[in-house]
Amino acid sequence: MENSTDRIRIKINGTWHDFELDRDIRPADTLAYLLKEKMGLTGLKVACDQGACGACTVIMDGEAVLSCMTLAVEADGHDIVTIEDLGENDPVVESFAEQCEPGYGTAMQCGFCTPGFVMTAKALLDENPNPTLEEVREALSGNLCRCGCYAAIAQAVLAAAKKMKAKGTKE
Amino acid sequence: MRKGFKTRNEHRYVGSYRPRVDGREKASGKAEFFDDIALKIRFPGLLYAKILRSPYPHARIKHCDVRKAEKLPGVKAILTYEDPEIAALKPTNFAWTPFFSISYDRMLWPTYKDRKILSDHVCWVGDEAGVVVAAESENIADHALKLIDIEWDILPYVLDPGEALKPGAPVIHPEINPDGNKIPTSPYSESDTFINRGDAEKAWTEAEAAISVTAHYHNAEHACLGTRGCLMNWKGDELTCWTSYYQADQTRMHITQMLDLPLDKVRVINPYIGGSFGRGNMGEQGFFIFLAILAKRIGRPVLHKYTRREDFHDTRTAVSYECKMGATKNGTITACCFKSLGDSGAYVDHSMAAVDFVPKEFAEETLAHVPNLKMETVLAYTNKIPGGCMRGIGNNQVNLAFGIAIDALAQKVGMDPIELCITNFSHEWGTIPDKSLKAVLQEGAKRIGWTKRHKPCEGHFYEGTKKRGLGFSFHNSWHAAWQELPRGHIQVSIKVNPDGTVILDAPTAETGPGSNSCIVFACAEALSFLGIGPDDIQWISKTDTQRGLKDQVQTDSGISYCHAEMMPRAGAKVKEQILELAAPHLKVTPDELDIEEGRISVKGKPDKGLTVTELFWKGDLVPILVTVSETLPDEVTGTPFCATFVEVEVDTEIGEVKVLKSVVIHDPGTVMYASGAEGQQIGGQAMAIGESLTEEIIYDQATGVPLNFNWVDYKIPTMLEFPDVEPVLMEEWRGAGEYGACGIGESVTTCAPAAIANAIHNAIGVRVNEMPFKPEKILKALQNKAKDEPAAKVMADLE
Repeated sequence: MENSTDRIRIKINGTWHDFELDRDIRPADTLAYLLKEKMGLTGLKVACDQGACGACTVIMDGEAVLSCMTLAVEADGHDIVTIEDLGENDPVVESFAEQCEPGYGTAMQCGFCTPGFVMTAKALLDENPNPTLEEVREALSGNLCRCGCYAAIAQAVLAAAKKMKAKGTKE
Repeated sequence: MRKGFKTRNEHRYVGSYRPRVDGREKASGKAEFFDDIALKIRFPGLLYAKILRSPYPHARIKHCDVRKAEKLPGVKAILTYEDPEIAALKPTNFAWTPFFSISYDRMLWPTYKDRKILSDHVCWVGDEAGVVVAAESENIADHALKLIDIEWDILPYVLDPGEALKPGAPVIHPEINPDGNKIPTSPYSESDTFINRGDAEKAWTEAEAAISVTAHYHNAEHACLGTRGCLMNWKGDELTCWTSYYQADQTRMHITQMLDLPLDKVRVINPYIGGSFGRGNMGEQGFFIFLAILAKRIGRPVLHKYTRREDFHDTRTAVSYECKMGATKNGTITACCFKSLGDSGAYVDHSMAAVDFVPKEFAEETLAHVPNLKMETVLAYTNKIPGGCMRGIGNNQVNLAFGIAIDALAQKVGMDPIELCITNFSHEWGTIPDKSLKAVLQEGAKRIGWTKRHKPCEGHFYEGTKKRGLGFSFHNSWHAAWQELPRGHIQVSIKVNPDGTVILDAPTAETGPGSNSCIVFACAEALSFLGIGPDDIQWISKTDTQRGLKDQVQTDSGISYCHAEMMPRAGAKVKEQILELAAPHLKVTPDELDIEEGRISVKGKPDKGLTVTELFWKGDLVPILVTVSETLPDEVTGTPFCATFVEVEVDTEIGEVKVLKSVVIHDPGTVMYASGAEGQQIGGQAMAIGESLTEEIIYDQATGVPLNFNWVDYKIPTMLEFPDVEPVLMEEWRGAGEYGACGIGESVTTCAPAAIANAIHNAIGVRVNEMPFKPEKILKALQNKAKDEPAAKVMADLE
């Protein structure tokens, strides 16, 4: 890494941020802690703090990662996207918000797990724009929803894929 | 595309398939939960409190020395059980109220004050022990706890409720019962045999067909995504409490009653909350009290937030049942006997409701026409995680025994269990057959394909070793309006802005169930004369005692209609005020006016009029403000029914059970919000199937230490384990009031465990009645069957 040992740089939602080790972050701080507690990016949620539930998912270099299991220093030189970067008219956000197709329920209830699901779905759709239901289930199986909105979440992801396609065609 | 539910009464917004009102906010990550607010960047000077957790299942602190911890840089204060302010606190419990605001002297279980705030006496591994530290960071607070020298008096412990009741067992709460661990009889029952109609034992003995089954429901955990927490901030003599508990007014009542503070000096705020499912019972938790004291002493905001491990804090009360049923050979049930042994864990809290109060309600609403009925219970303390509310309280447990007993009795009589249910059960104010029950069961049977159900074990094998089976169970739904009357006045306010938009205050903690959407739709329905829709209504998501209205405790599955029932009354008041304002402008009296789609006009002269916005703009631009504080309709209407039908696949080689399909049927009277109700029906299965198949708290029997207070080892279903769930809504029953609805949010989990148990029996011909139905139990039952079968065959041949 070209940075000096006591400084790290992380690209967060399109902007590079510099941090001084020990002053801004400690070696044991997780990426979740840095983003949420220090930078106020509160969209991500820390629910289990042990990599079991996916609520803290962010996207690092295009891949969904658990920010509670990633040290902040590990993100040095990497590109992080949090849900704050998506905006309300992002097709995935929109599809989760709008899901009300009869027979499936809504894509969230309490909503605590939702940002994690949205980010995992986003990473999936960026890589595989036409997933099958089985591929969606497999990709999202690391995210827990205790309210049990799994059927509607899967529908929302499939709907998001269609939306992204339609948007792509328009552009 | 699935076929949606069709309502019997057309409404404009109520009962529809629509997005949630908070969908956009939640999906975009903008919804602010407790965790998103309780941050140092928002509360400069924030301190972090950590409480000592007991490492022993039963112990007493003999002596504690905090001097080393106090010297640790960053430690701001340490509070212990020896502090005079702590020692002077009244004994209490965490279950003052069932669902409304209540004071200390009127708490629901006055005879079970078995909790002391920051006690030196600890009763389970993880129990709050009498030391709390506030420090500049969580790490420092954790470190400080390790520096405290504690001399423990380690006491003998007991984990099994049967053992706990034996003479000589270590007595856990001598202040409640000096002689043993039997929890004294409910103050609302004359004896432990709390129902004794006719002579049930005799009728059972004499019955032409009689069965007896046992069933065990374990301690399942709520496992809400958001952990519990509280942030206390004093400004002068005014305290603000931010919390992820779901009952602002009762939390305020609790804090002021325990600390002798005036109500106006304490403000409680609930932001969005990451699930509740009844956890922690209600708003009476010890940490509210010691944190308030701690924050006052230091003069800085203090946060206490549970770790995931700490959030394993209370559970669904574990109950073992023995259920006996007797019937004539034609299938008329003559006797039901329910005998339960409840395991309250370390504290009673609401566990007595699980074994006594709720079975009583079940008797009233399902078993009312059984001539001989006996229900008895014993509830015991053990040194384990406490029981309490979890999506209902006691309903699932009694249903497990009931559902299995029905299946066994139907088999004995040689009758279809659906027929047996329809011909025997109804509520106290209804007749047999009950219209709702019949509709629910017949629809469920149709959807699951009940006619293809084979006799137990007689189905063919799939993929070599797998067998399939069908099963169901039903329960009365809860609650209807008449059961929620103790809530007293339900308060809502509506503000109509000069541009016709609306601000709706119908306070209740938003924990996810969708009541917020129901309330907005009911408001739009009631104000449709303004020509507005749900998008024109701003619903206030934060519950805040300082806004004045009392919040409804988000429990009893009742909020959607509690608030919705007030909307037509509020709407009428809004209309009245607008017409009064408009009358002078149109030079008529208010009763000569009508209003439709936002336009006020003189009756019979549609051309003579003005819009609501024009009216406002002509006047002082002061919004119309209407507040309603009224009670629910008190007509006793009984309750409707719900059922779950499942198809399971049992791998007879490895013992694994999979739910292939689940049909969940509810008759809520009026569907308030179809997408939300279906979401509950589907979502409830994630919890019910988890509890039935994979979730279980495991203790090391040699030390009393729970081994899996985490989400790696406490196995919650993911999307991959989640079956195809078909939600079915119907409107057969009707309660009182504008909507006459009945709750469904808790009952969605109630019938699945018994349905799964029955389907397993149907698949493999043996009963596994102890939850969770894990592979080892299935395999053991199959082995026992194999052992018994040759002998049985010899016996049959001999006969």
